[in-house]
Amino acid sequence: MLEIEHLSVSLGEFSVTDLNLHIKRGQYTVLLGPTGAGKTILLETIAGIHRADTGRILLNGSDITHMPPEKRGIGMVYQDYMLFAHMTVAQNMGFGLRQHRCPKAEIEARVFQTAEMLGISHLLSRYPKTLSGGEQQRAALGRALLLQPSVLLLDEPLSALDTQTREKIRAELRRISQDTGVTILHITHHFEDMYSLADYAVVMREGQIVQIGTPDEILSSPATDFIAEFTGMENLFTGTARPLSNGLSEICLEGCSIVAVTEYTGQVRVGIRPENMLLSLERVTSSAQNMLPATVCQVIDSGAYVKVIVDAGVRFSVVLTKQGAEQLKISTGLQVWVTFKAAAVHVYTY
Amino acid sequence: MRTPPSFFRGLCICVSVFVVLLLVAVFAGLIFYPTAEDLIRCLTSAEIRYAVLLSVSTALLSTALCFLVSVPTAYALARFRFFGKSWVNLLVNLPLSLPPLVAGVALLIFLSPATSPIGQFFSSHGMYLVYTPAAIVIAQFFVNTPYMIRIARSAFLSVSPRYEYVARTLGCSEFSAFLKVTLPLAKSGLFAGIVIAWSKAMGEFGAVLMLAGAIAMKTETLPIALYLNMSTGDLSMAIAAALILLVISGTALILVEFFGRENGDVYA
Repeated sequence: MLEIEHLSVSLGEFSVTDLNLHIKRGQYTVLLGPTGAGKTILLETIAGIHRADTGRILLNGSDITHMPPEKRGIGMVYQDYMLFAHMTVAQNMGFGLRQHRCPKAEIEARVFQTAEMLGISHLLSRYPKTLSGGEQQRAALGRALLLQPSVLLLDEPLSALDTQTREKIRAELRRISQDTGVTILHITHHFEDMYSLADYAVVMREGQIVQIGTPDEILSSPATDFIAEFTGMENLFTGTARPLSNGLSEICLEGCSIVAVTEYTGQVRVGIRPENMLLSLERVTSSAQNMLPATVCQVIDSGAYVKVIVDAGVRFSVVLTKQGAEQLKISTGLQVWVTFKAAAVHVYTY
Repeated sequence: MRTPPSFFRGLCICVSVFVVLLLVAVFAGLIFYPTAEDLIRCLTSAEIRYAVLLSVSTALLSTALCFLVSVPTAYALARFRFFGKSWVNLLVNLPLSLPPLVAGVALLIFLSPATSPIGQFFSSHGMYLVYTPAAIVIAQFFVNTPYMIRIARSAFLSVSPRYEYVARTLGCSEFSAFLKVTLPLAKSGLFAGIVIAWSKAMGEFGAVLMLAGAIAMKTETLPIALYLNMSTGDLSMAIAAALILLVISGTALILVEFFGRENGDVYA
């Protein structure tokens, strides 16, 4: 229902180039990418703030490329809330309805109803400055939702909030998405947002989409370094891939070589999740293709688990449970074996 | 035991104390020089009353014009991207560093029927601008507009354009987003601009002297009254005019400092 076709927009140093994206009605899509990837400019162009240089945007089948923002029926919420400081929460939330010349009594009733739903009805007569971040973001969400937009654009709506509040508002977003069926496009830098909210994730880099998929797809085969890092991939190395048999490849890193499942050849990046690696004192018999001798360089106790840095020619970071670390009597200088499957090695180009 | 302040710190404090004492001494001299009766006689004289009235009315008019022109210009400079923007910025700022006398001469050449077709056009339609109270308004307007643009521009820059974006998605046209959101959010900056422009207009001398002349009881604003009385040796009258200007400047400063600041937190 939201279709973006060959969209190009250029605004100084930020741009979007020949971008295509189709989003289904009611779908929750998360937009990921490093700073400067063109995520915000894409959102603002969908909202009608910036004019598209080329391409078109269709909403429910009709072309809205040249429609002014006020006619599009698209809501927008920013990281820093953008509540109007000279208006109370109620006036802020009712702002859109007032522009649409809704009767006063109806505005009051609907503002109250939405405020109730968001748990801020006791704050309606307050000014934004006196509210906490979470309360302000609820008010901003309410302000956008009151117009019953067909698409809700969220530009890092949770980034300015503390962890606890972020959790709460995240739950709120999930509920809004389920209850109202609004189509949501949400920019985030938080891994958890993708996991707990998204039906689909879109990865952008340098003004283009580099990957689209379900959160699981993105996680299991990250297309870029940024996403690998974003998804918690820690052991990132550069190497050269050379095909072996049965879809396996040998990847020469600086210091050792490992086996991976990949079709890429030549220069590649690899990433291995610390929790997918095994440490043992003896060489173990298993189906895992990678088994390397290593020396423990550093043991970092982080409460629930222990992070161990081992040197096997390159330095791997491995995560053990506290019990596991105690059983192995892990200490600096200890000789160990690092084991991981070829399938645990994520290979991507960059 | 408290450690004595370092040499550098002590030096800075000494210099600032000296500056403050100097300012107080100089202005106190002005305030305490005339006798009370003399001062009251001068303040209530027809000439000073005329000067106050003329200054206040021309300054109000020129500030209003200034505001009308500066707001759209400052908004364009703050928000839009256009070709040659940095040059426009420079040009608009030029009068800031220019002595008002130069601006006055330029205006005189531009508007005098003797030197310019524009002046001839106005005079042929019965409008003699030069050496009239209208010239005072023009001179004040010309000198103060760059200040107002500068202040209004930074007021608009301090309001994130995202407020307007949100307002647009909520149903505002470009203009109504400006009117209902940006303008109120930039209020305290714009207020400061108005107060500063008005008090500067009250005190404008150089450009007014050039374009409107120093004609007693005709183009005699407060600074002109000060100048005329000084040159005829009537020190008490000159001091009366100076004191009024001092009070106006002080009030403007206090308004900007306190009201402007309070205005920023008024919604807290």
